[in-house]
Amino acid sequence: MIRLILLQARRDRIFLTVWVLGITLLLFVSTAAVATEYGSDEERSQILGLALTTPALLALRGVPNGAGLGSAVFFQTFASYAVGVGLMNTFFATRHGRADEERGRRELVAATPTTRSASLVATLLLGLIANIVLGILAFLGFVAGGTDAQGAVVAALALALIGLTFLGVGALAGELVATSRAANGVGAVAVLGAYALRAIGDALGTPDFDALRLETAWPSWLSPIGWGEQTLAFTENRLGPLVLLLALALVAGGGALAVRSRRDLGASLLPERSGRAVARAGLRSPGGLAWRLHWPSLLGWAIGAALLGLVVGSLATVVANASENFPESIQVVLRSLAHGGRSDIIGVFVAAIAVLIGLMAAAAGIQAVLRAREEEADGRAEQVLGGPVSRPRWLLASVGIATVSVLVVLLATAVATFASFASAGDLDSGWRSVGQILVQAPAALVFVGIGALLIGALPRLSVGLTWGLFALAAVIGLLGGLLRLPDWVLDASPITSVPAVPFDSVGDAVLALGIAAAVAIVLALAGAALFHRRNVPA
Amino acid sequence: MHGFLGPNGAGKSTTLRVLLGLLRSNGGSATVFGRDPWADAVDIHRDLAYVPGDVSLWPNLTGGETIDLLTRMRGGAEPARRDRLLREFELDPKRKARGYSKGNRQKVALVAAFARPAKLYILDEPTSGLDPVMESVFRAEVQRAQEDGATVLLSSHILSEVEQLCQRVTIIRAGRAVETGTLAEMRHLTRTSFRVATVAPSAQLAALPGVHDLHAEGDHLAFDVDTDALQPVLSALAAAGVSSLTAAPPSLEELFLRHYGDELPVLEEASAR
Repeated sequence: MIRLILLQARRDRIFLTVWVLGITLLLFVSTAAVATEYGSDEERSQILGLALTTPALLALRGVPNGAGLGSAVFFQTFASYAVGVGLMNTFFATRHGRADEERGRRELVAATPTTRSASLVATLLLGLIANIVLGILAFLGFVAGGTDAQGAVVAALALALIGLTFLGVGALAGELVATSRAANGVGAVAVLGAYALRAIGDALGTPDFDALRLETAWPSWLSPIGWGEQTLAFTENRLGPLVLLLALALVAGGGALAVRSRRDLGASLLPERSGRAVARAGLRSPGGLAWRLHWPSLLGWAIGAALLGLVVGSLATVVANASENFPESIQVVLRSLAHGGRSDIIGVFVAAIAVLIGLMAAAAGIQAVLRAREEEADGRAEQVLGGPVSRPRWLLASVGIATVSVLVVLLATAVATFASFASAGDLDSGWRSVGQILVQAPAALVFVGIGALLIGALPRLSVGLTWGLFALAAVIGLLGGLLRLPDWVLDASPITSVPAVPFDSVGDAVLALGIAAAVAIVLALAGAALFHRRNVPA
Repeated sequence: MHGFLGPNGAGKSTTLRVLLGLLRSNGGSATVFGRDPWADAVDIHRDLAYVPGDVSLWPNLTGGETIDLLTRMRGGAEPARRDRLLREFELDPKRKARGYSKGNRQKVALVAAFARPAKLYILDEPTSGLDPVMESVFRAEVQRAQEDGATVLLSSHILSEVEQLCQRVTIIRAGRAVETGTLAEMRHLTRTSFRVATVAPSAQLAALPGVHDLHAEGDHLAFDVDTDALQPVLSALAAAGVSSLTAAPPSLEELFLRHYGDELPVLEEASAR
């Protein structure tokens, strides 16, 4: 048993060390940052009061419980650490569980005189040690950041127990499904699901402005991360939720052990899900294929974009309320990002964020169009082009899906931002944001066109070059104003061409958008023409 | 049914890609159905099925989805035919491609090629990764396609496979066609290598027609015999008495080394230019 633990520890010495030290370092740095940034009780009360009025902030952060330094740190950071610790543990469990089995290493160990569950027991014990070390380091991190020791013990214990819970969940996931990929997926969904459940519960909670506390709604109580928050470390230091965590850890770990000692090598509790024997009707053309390959990624982009939109809307209101207290420097940054002469702070803020959303949409589009090059390099394009499919049609199918991706990301963000403004009763800002986000489309599509052109012209360099140009344009667009770059450099980035909504001059705005759209179309068609003329694969 | 033989790196796959219009030839001319494969690729591909040499599939798609995608682009599979092929090749169409072994990936490509009849099948080393049972299924399928009047161009580096299946053969080496003809014309290529322990005098064997390259290896004699000259050699050996015997068809590489060894430097020089 000791040998097995040492074996796994040796294989994992770098990975575990990096995770544990990384999380600890992050914890220490952010504790210290909160201590310096919000040094006094008044400052902390102010920010907590603001948070209590803003469900989006509660969803991102956690449960406020008083204005002490420890409580503020706990509110700001606990849920994020819990996600880090949880993922560390589920990945760890898979790496020594299902992944070992998949690669045939467990077979080697199982052929020696050990019990069937020996390697899992070793994994759980090593995980236990790792989480204890993490707990001790986390305690030291909190205390070193200046919080009181009793609360630090409770917070560190909660983190370690969340780790153990997800260690058990990860081990159980490895027994449920037959591939390491699926096991990692189940583990990650469990961790992120726990975060999301408490985000919903916290956002729907009832604020108590006098005590600066939040009575969370019931969904938080369905989540292990929510239980960790309910310890209300640094004020009430409740221990009851810790018992819940320990119990779940034991049940999950015990369940995994029970399955492991009964099942065959290579088997899983859930039989491997088989796919469709016959393709859906839509999978009959290059476009259908490109959609089939890209929609899972697009779904991810759209969900991310919608979440960002929700945050933007609620944050904008906060920024507007707090803007009188903003230092001059932040206002300068916002205005330079916005590339427009907006005077009101919400307008500037939305315009600045819309640039980021435009970049996000462009990235989604670039990913979709560059998939064509990936298909070619991996030898799959050959099979499609071996059918009655012309090369321009094949490349433009990816361009089409990329265009759809750009529009979906922008629309998802626009709808979410509008909903978020509308819930605050500010329909006017809502509509304006929708406009400001949607006008990013032509600029984002220019990047899709660049990708298509490079696939046609410089296939081997296309992937690196497209992302490189995107990064360059993004830096120019985001920081050009601050860096006082000359105008012609700024004009070279499509991002700076996006007009501000409402348009100062409808004619100029339509012209700017039209030029960007035309450039995008010309680039894509040129790419298709060049692709038509070159060898495949190149 | 035309065999396209050559050792690794001879340019078989490149030639097939030129015929598919994927690559543009930088010399010579190619026509498929009497048309230019580069300019008329789309029309030509309507009546053509292709199995690439290195089958790379979409990891997220199941075998069934892949087959449907590839056949639908050519107009759709015949369901009965698709089912029969899946059954005969013993392929599970519900598995995701990332879970398929090399042989199973090959089967996906073969089912996709045969599930819709074509006028021309271009098969690049189609049996690599298949076990002997599946190879026989493949041979039956190729014969069926031929009976339907289709042309099959089969590239391979395995001489016996081409021998069994093809009526005509082209052999290429370093990018050049060095032999083209019917199998009967190429009989001289298919010699059998003998290695025997016998008391028969070597001079007597060497004098028989169709015996080549006779030499002693320890207490064994090694020599090659033309296929149509086997009978007299066997009679002579039987008469003299044999204590051990191995007979093997020469590998393609050996053939090349023997027949084209002298030309190699010249050809390589030519292709390097």
